[in-house]
Amino acid sequence: MIEYQNLFTRVQVRTTTEDWGVPIEDDIWRKESGIDTRSGLGYLLGKIGDYQIGPIHLGVTGVASLVFGILAINIMGINFLADVNWNPIQFIRQLPWLSLDPPAPQYGLHLAPLRAGGWWQIAGLFLTISILLWWVRIYRRARAQGLGTHLPWAFASAIWLYLVLGFIRPVLMGSFAEAVPFGIFSHLDWTAAFSIRYGNLFYNPFHMLSIAFLYGSALLFAMHGGTILATTRMGAEREIEQITDRGTGAERGALFWRWTMGFNATMESIHRWAWWFAVLCTLTGGIGILLTGTAVDNWYLWGQKHGLVPQYPDVWNGTDRGTVDEQQGQLQQSPPDTLPGLPGVKAGTLRTPEGSIKAPIGSRRALDANAPELRKPTGGQP
Amino acid sequence: MITMRTRYVAVVAGLALLGACGERPPVDTAQLGYRGVGMEQVTNPRLYAARLADNQVPAAPPAAEPGPPGPWQNVQVLTDVSAAEFTRQMTATSEWIVPDSWVDPKDINRANKCAYCHNLANMASDEKYTKVVARRMYQMTRDINGNYTNHVQQTGVTCYSCHRGNPVPQNIWFYTDQNQAYRYFVDRPDVRVQSASFVPSNDNRSSIKQTEYTYAVMLHMSNGLGVNCGFCHNSRQWSDWSQSTPQRMTALRGARMVRDLNSNYLVPLQPTWPKERLGPHGDGAKLMCATCHNGVNKPLYGAAMAKDYPSLYPGGMGSATTTMPTTDSTGAAVTPPADATAPTAHVMPSKTAPGAGAVAPRTATPPTPAAVPANTGPEGVGAMGGSGQSGKNLPTDKVPVPQELQRPK
Repeated sequence: MIEYQNLFTRVQVRTTTEDWGVPIEDDIWRKESGIDTRSGLGYLLGKIGDYQIGPIHLGVTGVASLVFGILAINIMGINFLADVNWNPIQFIRQLPWLSLDPPAPQYGLHLAPLRAGGWWQIAGLFLTISILLWWVRIYRRARAQGLGTHLPWAFASAIWLYLVLGFIRPVLMGSFAEAVPFGIFSHLDWTAAFSIRYGNLFYNPFHMLSIAFLYGSALLFAMHGGTILATTRMGAEREIEQITDRGTGAERGALFWRWTMGFNATMESIHRWAWWFAVLCTLTGGIGILLTGTAVDNWYLWGQKHGLVPQYPDVWNGTDRGTVDEQQGQLQQSPPDTLPGLPGVKAGTLRTPEGSIKAPIGSRRALDANAPELRKPTGGQP
Repeated sequence: MITMRTRYVAVVAGLALLGACGERPPVDTAQLGYRGVGMEQVTNPRLYAARLADNQVPAAPPAAEPGPPGPWQNVQVLTDVSAAEFTRQMTATSEWIVPDSWVDPKDINRANKCAYCHNLANMASDEKYTKVVARRMYQMTRDINGNYTNHVQQTGVTCYSCHRGNPVPQNIWFYTDQNQAYRYFVDRPDVRVQSASFVPSNDNRSSIKQTEYTYAVMLHMSNGLGVNCGFCHNSRQWSDWSQSTPQRMTALRGARMVRDLNSNYLVPLQPTWPKERLGPHGDGAKLMCATCHNGVNKPLYGAAMAKDYPSLYPGGMGSATTTMPTTDSTGAAVTPPADATAPTAHVMPSKTAPGAGAVAPRTATPPTPAAVPANTGPEGVGAMGGSGQSGKNLPTDKVPVPQELQRPK
């Protein structure tokens, strides 16, 4: 027999209509929500959160945001499909590798042809409109309920990073090619390449701050969640009632942290800690990205100048690392549009027995098109 | 309450999750650089054992007697080896190149292997394209062994280094698209994207996409050689030579070699190959690191196979007492292979010659073996950078230690 002891248990607390006090209208809640508290869905939802779904308020901005967002996602998806020659099986198979890329550097900040980055620009515009409309909606819903605006401003911090990556920094650099592609692996590859190009982002102090706030957010979340769950057996979930009293569950939680680390946040300030850590993560991250390539071109060398870089003994000293002449190399040039040995062929598409296709570099399709049977021994007359 | 069943489910699910990682333990890590910089080579003894089995050297036939060159017609490359050595080399090559499946099982002399390149009724005839290609490949092999000792050292290469019993080596490439990373090995040699100064300037306008091209080139090297990034680089600053290992220079010399070989040997062979040997753009097969390395940082784990085959060196290593007059089938004098004499003068048919920029310069004098410790990996790391951090070596009594894992005694 499960016994109800405090508010924070895994027992799903539900009211019946009889407990709602004086009835205003008969069964008003069921009519509004359409959810029966005794339904299976309600029970399962109650395992991870509140058993109640809805009511939801979309409003004009919510609907418009969804329309633009769906448009953006569809532009990306249809471009992916075009990349695999409209083959749905290949679409699923290659989905993690498919990508909608920004225009090449030569287009600068101009509109590019649709299949050469133009669709990326349109999808990016629609996605940005969608996100900004969603921010307006969050702000207005917070105001409508008489809440503070903490949530919209925290969301704005994330939008700041998004805008820096996809718009503000590319504009400062004079080229949309600097922006992030839309794709599962491609945006991760972009992150790696971005750090390599600009000489190791780990030496960017704003990147350091952002990482500290990112991991710090996770740590604070775990500390706070753990503290509250551990102290509810003394009723500490009624934290505000206990906040000033000695010997309560809340006081025990505070004492625990003073014992273990000498200092504790209060039941009130821990929420400000968490909010600021989360907000500063993307705020500082955005500053770090904004400075990259605009103010600093090689963060490692910048760190070296400012004493951030430890020096290690050269364990290869005395071994052959070539002459300085041998070590010389050129900065990368644009790919030539002719192929050695094939003067008449324009690079860009693949000619296969099925016709001309576009195959991403290194994609399975490109590999398949390379006619694997040619690699096998012929087994007959050459 | 946690029941036994729940525990079983958790264990099975955990194992399934590990299995999804694709590589079963054990994993060993060898330290390559100074302690703490994360320059490491990750290996798996189990996978290593399988790879080792794929990289065994075929036994060399008994050495041939010295003597004058044979009375062959239309021999253009192996003019300077004895008749016995010539036959020995032909036999060995046919075993390296022509798969057993191609041989008629009823033919106890395995003469069919000769027929892969030769018209058996007229061995001097160039009517089969395979013979023309093979001749060019002999020239290429001699060029490598004679002029690229800054990459292949004294180990050298043979036909088997790449072919491994296949008429076409397993790891070759054709053109796919304009941004293809393998173009690094023909006509797009420049991969550097990091600035030498932290102040932005118009000197370096390398884009993120160009950086991804660099990344793709580097990953080919990593996969082709079965090594991690730290085998050559300190990842905190890829471009810094003073923090790179000597292997980075070996790799760069190798890349320049592959570019030369593709430009001078493989691309010009394109008209020689029949259509079914060409890629989707109509281009011929080309080399890359993996063609010879086959996933191993030293091909065939550094086995010195080439020394048993004097024909594969310029001048045949003096295995013939005299030199055969060089004539082609029409009796006209044939230019001796340029590789044997001048390191920089390459046979480059003008029809398909790429820009001169594609041929990277190389050192006029290859470093002597004494000055260059053979490219054997982290010699002396333990003394200089502390012992291997995992504290356990591979079981040396069961699995031979790969070259890259050898530690100082």
